[in-house]
Amino acid sequence: MTQRIKLDCRGIWKIYGDDPGGFLARHGDKPSLGQFAQAGMVGAVRNTSVSVMEGEIFVIMGLSGSGKSTLVRCLSRLIEPTAGEVYFEGRNLLEMSEAELIDLRRRKMGMVFQHFALLPHLSVLENAAFPLEIQGVDRRTREARAREMIETVGLQGREDYYPRQLSGGQQQRVGIARSLVVEPDLWFLDEPFSALDPLIRREMQDEFLRLQSLLHKTIVFITHDFDEAIRLADRIAVMKEGVIEQIATPEELVLHPATAYVEDFTRHIPRAKVVRLHSIMSAGVPAAAYAGELPGTMTVAEAADQVEAASAPFKVLDEAGVAMGTVASRAVIDVMIGRTMT
Amino acid sequence: MSGTAGQGEAVSLPMPTQAQDKARKRGWLFWLLLFVTTWGFSQWSFALYKALDARWIIRFPKQYELQLDTVISRLMSWLVEEASFGWFTFQQFTRFLSALVEAPYDWVRSLLIDGFSTGIGQQAVQQVPPLSWIAVIVMAMAIAAYARNARLALLAGGCFLYLALFGQWESAMVTLASVAIAVPIGVGGGLLLGILSYRVPVAERILRPLLDLMQTVPVFAYLVPILFLFGFGPVSALVATVIYAMPPMVRVSTVALKSVPEDIIEAGRMMGCTQRQLLWKVCIPTAMPSLMVGVNQVIMLSLNMVIIASMIGAGGLGYDVLTALRRLDIGGGIEAGLAIVVMAIALDRVSQAFATRNVRQRFIKGVPYHQRHPLLSTVLLVLLLTTVLGQFLPFVQSYPDDYTLSTSRYWAAGMEWINVNFFDQLEAVKTVLLTVLLLPVKRFFGGIPWAWGIIAMGLIGWRIGGWRLALMCTLMTFFLAWNGLWAKSMVTVYLCAVSVLLASVIGIPLGVWAGQSARANSIIGTVIDTLQTLPSFVYLIPVVMLFRVGDFSAMIAVVLYALAPAVRYAAHGIRSIDTEMIEAGKVSGCTSRQLLWRIKFPLATPSLLLGLNQTIMLALSMLVITALVGTRDLGQEVYIALTKANTGQGIIAGLSVAFIAIMADRIVAALARRSQQRLGLE
Amino acid sequence: MKVINLLSVGLLSTALSTPVLADVESQDPIKLTTHDWTGQIITTTIMGEILQKAGYNIEYVQADYIAQFAGLKTGDLHVAMEIWETTGREAMDEATDTGKVVNLGESGMTAIEEWWYPGYMEELCPGLPDWQAMNDCAEEFATPETAPLGRYLGAPVTWGGFDEERIEALGLDFEVVHAGTDAALFAELESAYQRKAPIVLWLYSPHWAPAKYEGSYIEFPEYSVECYNDPSVGINPDAAYDCGKPVGPIWKVAWSGVEEKWPGAVAAIEAFDIDNEAMGALITQVDLDGVSVDEAVAEWLSANEETWSGWIQ
Repeated sequence: MTQRIKLDCRGIWKIYGDDPGGFLARHGDKPSLGQFAQAGMVGAVRNTSVSVMEGEIFVIMGLSGSGKSTLVRCLSRLIEPTAGEVYFEGRNLLEMSEAELIDLRRRKMGMVFQHFALLPHLSVLENAAFPLEIQGVDRRTREARAREMIETVGLQGREDYYPRQLSGGQQQRVGIARSLVVEPDLWFLDEPFSALDPLIRREMQDEFLRLQSLLHKTIVFITHDFDEAIRLADRIAVMKEGVIEQIATPEELVLHPATAYVEDFTRHIPRAKVVRLHSIMSAGVPAAAYAGELPGTMTVAEAADQVEAASAPFKVLDEAGVAMGTVASRAVIDVMIGRTMT
Repeated sequence: MSGTAGQGEAVSLPMPTQAQDKARKRGWLFWLLLFVTTWGFSQWSFALYKALDARWIIRFPKQYELQLDTVISRLMSWLVEEASFGWFTFQQFTRFLSALVEAPYDWVRSLLIDGFSTGIGQQAVQQVPPLSWIAVIVMAMAIAAYARNARLALLAGGCFLYLALFGQWESAMVTLASVAIAVPIGVGGGLLLGILSYRVPVAERILRPLLDLMQTVPVFAYLVPILFLFGFGPVSALVATVIYAMPPMVRVSTVALKSVPEDIIEAGRMMGCTQRQLLWKVCIPTAMPSLMVGVNQVIMLSLNMVIIASMIGAGGLGYDVLTALRRLDIGGGIEAGLAIVVMAIALDRVSQAFATRNVRQRFIKGVPYHQRHPLLSTVLLVLLLTTVLGQFLPFVQSYPDDYTLSTSRYWAAGMEWINVNFFDQLEAVKTVLLTVLLLPVKRFFGGIPWAWGIIAMGLIGWRIGGWRLALMCTLMTFFLAWNGLWAKSMVTVYLCAVSVLLASVIGIPLGVWAGQSARANSIIGTVIDTLQTLPSFVYLIPVVMLFRVGDFSAMIAVVLYALAPAVRYAAHGIRSIDTEMIEAGKVSGCTSRQLLWRIKFPLATPSLLLGLNQTIMLALSMLVITALVGTRDLGQEVYIALTKANTGQGIIAGLSVAFIAIMADRIVAALARRSQQRLGLE
Repeated sequence: MKVINLLSVGLLSTALSTPVLADVESQDPIKLTTHDWTGQIITTTIMGEILQKAGYNIEYVQADYIAQFAGLKTGDLHVAMEIWETTGREAMDEATDTGKVVNLGESGMTAIEEWWYPGYMEELCPGLPDWQAMNDCAEEFATPETAPLGRYLGAPVTWGGFDEERIEALGLDFEVVHAGTDAALFAELESAYQRKAPIVLWLYSPHWAPAKYEGSYIEFPEYSVECYNDPSVGINPDAAYDCGKPVGPIWKVAWSGVEEKWPGAVAAIEAFDIDNEAMGALITQVDLDGVSVDEAVAEWLSANEETWSGWIQ
């Protein structure tokens, strides 16, 4: 891949307790879990490195207390990491002055919060326009821009409502509109759909994917819901007790879990939903009759109906549109019913 | 969460472990021993002094007494006469502050009462008349309508109409002018200090004890220094009002800002707010509903100060109450007092409505101005009309005296009827209470030798709150003795104890009743609200007529005033019990009596203790006023200092009252905390 | 400012055709203090009205009776119309000693303070008003708290009065219970009077109470300075205070600067003179008949023009 790295963090530590810096230094920058317990310190994030590529949806998944929220706050420097480096477009975030940081956040970053974090005294329109207001953009311009965003998230007609008059899903749409109003390059979403009902959550996930297909932002998405991670992610980082267990595409994660912990999550995930055709195709395209062509990035579940209905196999194309292999109905059925692949 | 924890504890309560059982027994033993020892000392201290010829046992030795009051008085005269910042003296500085406050006050006064004039004294010519009474009523209604709805507007209008009908208009406007100046200063200053202690933890640590003192030192104690520094007149009264009314605003602001949800602050930071934007555009608007609670408190406390402020030149309704009662016009006093209540109701309801105000309608383009802003247009129209018409029709400008009502005669007649027909019965009740309650308690506290008092307070503090509280109690109690105020302090404690006991005995059952029945709640609520906002002077004088000068009258007045928190917290405690607990009790087959005693009371304990705490605070604040009916406690000491303009004596006595209040507060708060922990409600 | 002032003076004198004002030394308002009892407010209002008729600007400032001396010393306040010999002498002397406050002489009224009882008590205690009759009927005056001693309702402690000492020196079987304020004092009197119940209490004139309630002051052995200072003088050779209370004038005082700034006003204040009877009538009008202070004063002024016009010559 030739994608550029948008956000790069190396060796992040976030330790809570008395004199965390000193504690880290005393233990050679690599204290063990036992040493944490002994000193009564909490290692919320331990020696974590993550690179987020431009334009990808990078999901950090972990249960509560896994340190995922702390990590994303270190990445956005909402909290100061105890140690480590965070590079955004090549500039070290942690060395920036307050003014530089404010400027960067105003122009380049947006964030969506679990509990929406809307300002209760402002209307939908004013909330969405708020990031521009604090930048001193004049009322006409900022409201026009905010209206545009409100329309994008599908809330037109509700501009003059106040947050408490909206449902949770609608409130989060306002949160999304607000975070996008400055056209950020990097978009943080901290468990944006966790506070919503399951049905609404699903709807919002679709909405999110639709938006991303329009906007192509670089996204860091936090969730505790593995299904959500699988559904949305280009790549997933699984966190446990402050440490990243594995970073991989959903497919790799399901097919090759690195640890038993990750495997626990993947066990109930239907393979067909994550496995893509290029993983099950038989390489090479012998001359024969084919029912058609399918992209290799398509999941088995998406391709299943077509492949099964056809009497002949399909060609599988790579990203450049060149046929690389074939897939027949048997391979698809193997995945769908969980027959072991060898 | 808390519900389940509480339930678990409730289940384990009847079956304590052996260790708990032992600890509880030891606890009882400690309190029993402490009481018996204290009682013994109290009984025999005088005999002991005679037997050993050691007068120091009952009196703190005069030669070691701290002469702090003279030091403070001297400091005060130095401040007034000599202190200087170089370019200007301290007094010039305070007088400058006075001028700053006086300018807007004069303006509001002109607006409401005097009109705007040019020239002074007899050469003055009125250029613009004051607002007509009709205009003021319409404005009050418009503000209420803006804050909530037409019903509130009717209430506010009715309240202001009362002022006109009962001939209280001009005085009420004087009071309103003071409130209109004191409240913004109190709110603004409180907010700024609140922000300071929110931002700077050190500031919070310094401010907290200061606020404690501002709330517990009786106002009488610092009236004299304020008069010296800020001169005679309404400004001093305003300063005293602000000192008294501001502390809750500071506390509320700090708490409100601290409870702004973390993610809203993070959202603000992620949007690139500067510190200032974060505070003023994100945190403060978000905290606004809580802040309005503080504003409401400032308004209510400012109105509580109306009487005291009128003693040093604020005039207004407070002055009317005082003068009416001086000539024994009880009805006049009640009418002026009710005018304060009525004004309090209007301001209270409207300011609360602002706290929970529903969203305004956004205007649609193309609609004419007067339809977009109907309230404002109405007010402007009425203003214009009344001002113009007022020039020709005097009754538009000011409410005609001939049409005012007065109930004065009926009050006087009613009072006389009670006095003539029921005095003997009341006297009998009084005699019984005196002999079985007041006098024994008085003897008990009065007999405690100062040295043992200090030790006992230390022990109580240690037992309840650990060594820190013990140290604080010891030092504060020593302060009382050291300044030669032991005897008066004990009278204060005795009166306070008896009043609080009686207030609880009456208030808690009322509260429990109110907590269980909505109708009882609305009736009882109205009565105690009125009792609390009605200036105590209004009922102090009738009480004296029925019960004569003395401790008993003082106690009645204190009980009437301090009843409110006992009732409110009891009702709140009963009402806020998890319904699951009640249901669990019913399912287990509790009778309603068992339900009350076995489930509701134990679970309401923390709330009852908080109510007790507030009752004690209010009782102490009221004790100072009862000096006016002749008690011989610290309140009297403060009052004597006031009438003799003795700064030092007033401040020392005031501090002593404050220390007693702070000790009581800390001890009861520690008890409440412990019972909350025990119930897992924290 | 000045232009406006001139203009408004012009307006006043032409358009409203008020009598042409006398030339006065300064247009600054003279600040007269008012306290919390009616008599004093009446006295002050009379003085204020007269000064206004003389062309001065005046301002009433509400101030505490004792605390006002701080303001009089600095010139924050200018004139106080009633300083009673019996209650204010000490504070007044202290203030005049500094030279910043001057005594402008007597007001013509006499302050009387003494034990007082309602007329119906003479039936129960026939020997009254002689003080020696008191002990015979001490039990009539007793209450449960004080029994067997009689209960004497004293003034607020701050008013002094030496009543405990008097009881001791004269051997009276009474106990002093202090009222906190005079409002409490009169509340008890009103209550007892309504029920025709026994009471003996501290009262003072000029005040509305002696006018409203029928009764008399008790006659103690006559006051003398020696009686208070020298134990050997009086009935009891071993104790001071074995006599009644002093009777004394009510004084007028002012900030010393007033004499320089408004000499004409000082002359008028010094000339002010009214007696107990006139004042008692005014107080009764206001406190008992519900006439407002302003009305009562206006009436008095129009009825007594001859008297007061002499003060402002």
